Amino acid sequence: MKQFIAKILSHASVSDCFFELAFAWDAAAGPVLPGQFCTIRVSPYSAPLLRRPFAFSRYDEKTGVAAIAYKKRGPATELLSCKPAGGTINIIGPLGNDFFRFATAGYAHFYLVAGGTGFGPVAFLANHCAQRNLACTVVLGCRTRSQLPRLNLLPSVKAVVCTDDGSEGIHGTPLTYLATLSPMQYASSAVFSCGPAPLLAGCHEWALARGLSCFVSVEQVMACGVGACMGCAVRVTDAGANGFARACTEGPVFDSRRILWT
Amino acid sequence: MDLSVAIGGKKLPNPVGVASGTFGYGGEYEQLVDFAAIGALYTKAVTLMPRPGNDIPRIVETPSGLINSIGLANVGVDRFISEKMPHCRELPCAVVVNIAGSSADEYARVLEKLETCPGIWGYEINVSCPNVKHGGMAFGTDPAQVERLTADLRKRTKNPIIVKLTPNVTDIRTIAKAAQEGGADAVSCINTLVGMVIDVGAKKPVLPMGTGGLSGPAIRPVGVAATYAVSRAVSIPVIGLGGISGPLDALQYLLAGASAVQIGTANFVDPTTTARVLAGIREFCERENVSCIKDLHRFIP
Ligand SMILES: Cc1cc2nc3c(=O)[nH]c(=O)nc-3n(C[C@H](O)[C@H](O)[C@H](O)COP(=O)(O)OP(=O)(O)OC[C@H]3O[C@@H](n4cnc5c(N)ncnc54)[C@H](O)[C@@H]3O)c2cc1C
Ligand SMILES: Cc1cc2nc3c(=O)[nH]c(=O)nc-3n(C[C@H](O)[C@H](O)[C@H](O)COP(=O)(O)O)c2cc1C
Ligand code: FES
Repeated sequence: MKQFIAKILSHASVSDCFFELAFAWDAAAGPVLPGQFCTIRVSPYSAPLLRRPFAFSRYDEKTGVAAIAYKKRGPATELLSCKPAGGTINIIGPLGNDFFRFATAGYAHFYLVAGGTGFGPVAFLANHCAQRNLACTVVLGCRTRSQLPRLNLLPSVKAVVCTDDGSEGIHGTPLTYLATLSPMQYASSAVFSCGPAPLLAGCHEWALARGLSCFVSVEQVMACGVGACMGCAVRVTDAGANGFARACTEGPVFDSRRILWT
Repeated sequence: MDLSVAIGGKKLPNPVGVASGTFGYGGEYEQLVDFAAIGALYTKAVTLMPRPGNDIPRIVETPSGLINSIGLANVGVDRFISEKMPHCRELPCAVVVNIAGSSADEYARVLEKLETCPGIWGYEINVSCPNVKHGGMAFGTDPAQVERLTADLRKRTKNPIIVKLTPNVTDIRTIAKAAQEGGADAVSCINTLVGMVIDVGAKKPVLPMGTGGLSGPAIRPVGVAATYAVSRAVSIPVIGLGGISGPLDALQYLLAGASAVQIGTANFVDPTTTARVLAGIREFCERENVSCIKDLHRFIP
């Protein structure tokens, strides 16, 4: 973990609502794993004030390139989208735990489910799995075909696309697709999910009903990003944690059975 | 040039500390900051029993600030001593433990437990948290209670006692004087201001408790005015905080009458703020031929 000023190597739209920003990674900050995130200070002034968290969408140790994929949602992402390649950004990272620590032996296959801003980390995870010969299926959900981000998935990654309006792939959400799977298909699988809360909750319920493990990356507003402020708390079931866990350090990836779903 | 700060017979190595609740127990920021540049670490509030904290969400950004409703989430004094202090003790900076409670008795019992624990420089008495139903700010808005509480804690320790003041009062000077009467060695001002953000779409407040505490650049002028007023009302040192994000902000507080400052919300934005502020203060004092922090107080009568 380190704070550093990174050079922006490329910055382009990858769908009609997604941008990918690639930047030079400082090796002294240590390697990056899928599921981890960084925080970016988008403005040198006092508004927007807080650093914003973004999950990594790729990282290549050899070339020293890291990237995030993001959606414009408000003032910080609006400002971020104006930063040109060749310019710089203020990064702290890598932060949080990673998906991979949960991808232990015993699973024959992974469903990697993404919706909304979850595309980036899921693409990163999918390529990571492919490089390690771990079988996985990426299930991407978005509103319509034009929103589908062009993220470079390795050829061996199987991808299923779901659109709300049916303009591409399956007509429905990733949950529609999961519901069609037979026990033969999902046997020995685990689910990793990143996206809007209803999608995460849906994946959790789907997996629970089938006795499968599900791991989710949760989103919560963050102030410090390093575990100091207790601002990013999420509700968890274990009493030992006093009912709350910090998304930034104990997460953002949790076993879905640990989350208190409401 | 001497940048050390004398408080209650002890000395802080330099005038720039990190504010309670924004730096955890130190370890969280270890990879990002040089603790040798920090004058004092004011810990997250410590209470008698562990507290889970308030319902979520707990943070909302506001124009040049943020409102928090953390609610004194902490591990409790016993686990603080066994789990956090061993690491805190190794830090090169002074460790000031922020104490909170729901009753005078709770403050006293927390302090007594901490007295048995080596490595604590002093105590900051939090009578100003706006995010709890009992105790906290309820103490800090009543001069009689502040004086009684301070006097009671005074009897139990020789370590410096700093009373942290709330700006959510009619006249902050009366509270500061009460702390001084009770035997406080210093006061810190200010804690957060009560604030609310309403989600217009949902037609309800964003934070489940309704209100929270406003901090950050937005409150700096309030903190500077409070420091100016308090430092003229008491003879003990005043520690200024609220919205400091750079050396010029800190110098405003020092010129207004503060003997030391704390950095809070700015740590979230740039964890190296403390080092930057300290370097800027040193440079300013050199340029202006100021020999010590006290010497800065002569400019504004
Ligand atoms: C661990 C983590 C990973 C994330 N990864 C991505 C990603 O890969 N791509 C992506 O597009 N987005 C990601 N986000 C969300 C991203 O942080 C928000 O979209 C961004 O903060 C919005 O800021 P804004 O000023 O543009 O919008 P705002 O108007 O401030 O907020 C829009 C929404 O973003 C969320 N948000 C606002 N401030 C914060 C904050 N300080 N911390 C966290 N969330 C906030 C709020 O829920 C709000 O509803 C991630 C969030 C977390 C916690
Ligand atoms: C997330 C957060 C948690 C805080 N927790 C505490 C606390 O436990 N005890 C306390 O005395 N003050 C607490 N404060 C108040 C700060 O120490 C400080 O008084 C206030 O934020 C104003 O300074 P700033 O504008 O530099 O942040 C907290 C502030 C924030 C933002
Ligand atoms: S964002 Fe501060 S503890 Fe997680």
